[in-house]
Amino acid sequence: MVSTDIFRPVGEDWVPVSAALATGRRLVAMPLLALPAVAAAIVATTTSSTVLRLVAAAAAVALVAVIVAAWTWAARNQRSWGYAEAEDDLLVTSGVLFKRLVAVPYGRMQFVDVSAGPLARRLGYATVTLHTASTETAADIPGVPTEEARRLRNRLTELGESHGAGL
Amino acid sequence: MAPDSEPESGGVGASSTPADAVGLRTHPLTAVTTGLLFSLPAAAALIFSSLQNGRLPDLPWWLLLLIPVLLAAGGFVVGTAIGFVSWFVTTYVIDGEEVRVDSGLLFKSSRRVPYERLQSVDIAEPLLARLVGLCELRLETAGGSDSRTSLKYLRLADARALRRVLLERADGPGTDPEPGYPLDATAHDAGDGTAPARGRRVISHVTPGRLLLGTLVSLDLAVSLVLGVGVLVALVSVDAPFAAFGTAIPFATVLLKIVSNRVAAQWDSTVTEDRRGLRIERGLFTRTTQTVPWERVQGLAVEEPLVWRRLGWARLQVDIAGYGNEAGDGSGESTSTLVPVADRERVLQIVEHVLDVRLEQMERTAPPPRSWPFAPFVWRARWVGADAVGFAGVEGWFQRRSNVVPHHKTQSVEVRQGPLQRRLGLATVEVHTPDGPVDADGRHLVAETARTIALDQVERARRARSRPHPSPVDAP
Repeated sequence: MVSTDIFRPVGEDWVPVSAALATGRRLVAMPLLALPAVAAAIVATTTSSTVLRLVAAAAAVALVAVIVAAWTWAARNQRSWGYAEAEDDLLVTSGVLFKRLVAVPYGRMQFVDVSAGPLARRLGYATVTLHTASTETAADIPGVPTEEARRLRNRLTELGESHGAGL
Repeated sequence: MAPDSEPESGGVGASSTPADAVGLRTHPLTAVTTGLLFSLPAAAALIFSSLQNGRLPDLPWWLLLLIPVLLAAGGFVVGTAIGFVSWFVTTYVIDGEEVRVDSGLLFKSSRRVPYERLQSVDIAEPLLARLVGLCELRLETAGGSDSRTSLKYLRLADARALRRVLLERADGPGTDPEPGYPLDATAHDAGDGTAPARGRRVISHVTPGRLLLGTLVSLDLAVSLVLGVGVLVALVSVDAPFAAFGTAIPFATVLLKIVSNRVAAQWDSTVTEDRRGLRIERGLFTRTTQTVPWERVQGLAVEEPLVWRRLGWARLQVDIAGYGNEAGDGSGESTSTLVPVADRERVLQIVEHVLDVRLEQMERTAPPPRSWPFAPFVWRARWVGADAVGFAGVEGWFQRRSNVVPHHKTQSVEVRQGPLQRRLGLATVEVHTPDGPVDADGRHLVAETARTIALDQVERARRARSRPHPSPVDAP
């Protein structure tokens, strides 16, 4: 039934986001998942109660599965992000299971945010967020390399002004 | 009584700006109004709390009467004192670029509203303020939950004069017939104040009878009435009066909300227009006048509840940036209603007049039958369409909503697809507008069609933005 990918690029190719985004997300998620997994494994090997041992072993196995899933999700999600600066609109695509493609006209942008936490700054990427008068416009692009993010923000602000930003 | 809007000397920020009006204060009776607002709840809270015990406290009758009266009086004194301080420290400035409201005793705040950001200028006359001849002027800007700036309370004539000045300036340079209209000249000009409807054409008026009838036959009221009464009867018949009382309260709240939003707030609703924009006048207890420049209409939604469809009736909602964020105080629904009830034909005429969109003649794209798992039965009611001026998304069976967005008001366009949609070869297209009643979506269309519609919409919006958008009403 699915003939072509409806999230294919509109004009030129999608600009991908930094692969460091996957690294950053793994760095955040792994300790949170690995610590309970290790704890469960320790309980499973040391406890004398059979029931507790089984429960802890099951928990450890499940957590390892989640770790593997999160590891691959981080990479797949990072690869799914893409944006393109068309003549009059910014196009953004993302998602693995739930895919989407958003087109935001430059002339409708109210303001552009660039934000980066300490880890993101270390790894050299930032999140660029576009705001229009509609809160439904969820156009934030994570993992844009810092230099590129700054350029993008200036470019978008400039384009917004020249396209007559307004409601 | 000192005349209001008298420029007070030594107001905040009096020196720097080339001001038209500097350091103005609202009407001194504001304090008394605040006092009244404090006194009634104080007494009501006492009465309510003593009733909740199920019986009156064991006191002589005169004491029972005296205590609420004393509480009300105490509330009034405290409220008036608070009101006086807040009135005294609040000043507003109207200059060449913006309205500025400075307020606060300990925590100073200063709110600036540039004229070009004004979305609508509304005047509300709450019952208590009306008693002392005052009203509240509300300036609506886009964005955030705190987008409303209000000046309370002003004399009605002054508020109207101020509104005229603000709307002229919001209209932008070039279109102003009387550029640089000085505030001082209008503040005491009774002309606009006494004849607000002069030069305005009435485009809709809803009689109270029609409004009551429409509310009575609308489905949500009927359903909540039937459910409420049914549950009550069931609980009383199994001899559980306390449970009955407990369940009656939420139902009564829902009913009260419907009645206050649909009846009291929409009472005697009249929509008029002129070259600048639309004006909605409505309300039984709180009389509200909303004035919206044409350029600020972000979209319209025609709502047809099930029973109304049989009768050929419809409701018209309007999307104004800023209005949608007021759901918090429960007035969001009523503020965005343009016509509470009218013949469907008339409503469609108004849509055509305001946006130049002919909903009935649009070419329709409907979701394919294979989209039924997402919306059994309801999928048949859905379609999207576009013409030269606007995009439409229709959905809903219990309450059909036809959402219309003019192309040049398209904020962004999105195509989305979940895993099940991908399996069925479907996708959803959304045309984003500022928060409000209008939500033009095409759900579960054929995937490739959804992409085409979205990209076409981007293109239509681009072309529409570069065109001028004249007012639907010709200049006189």
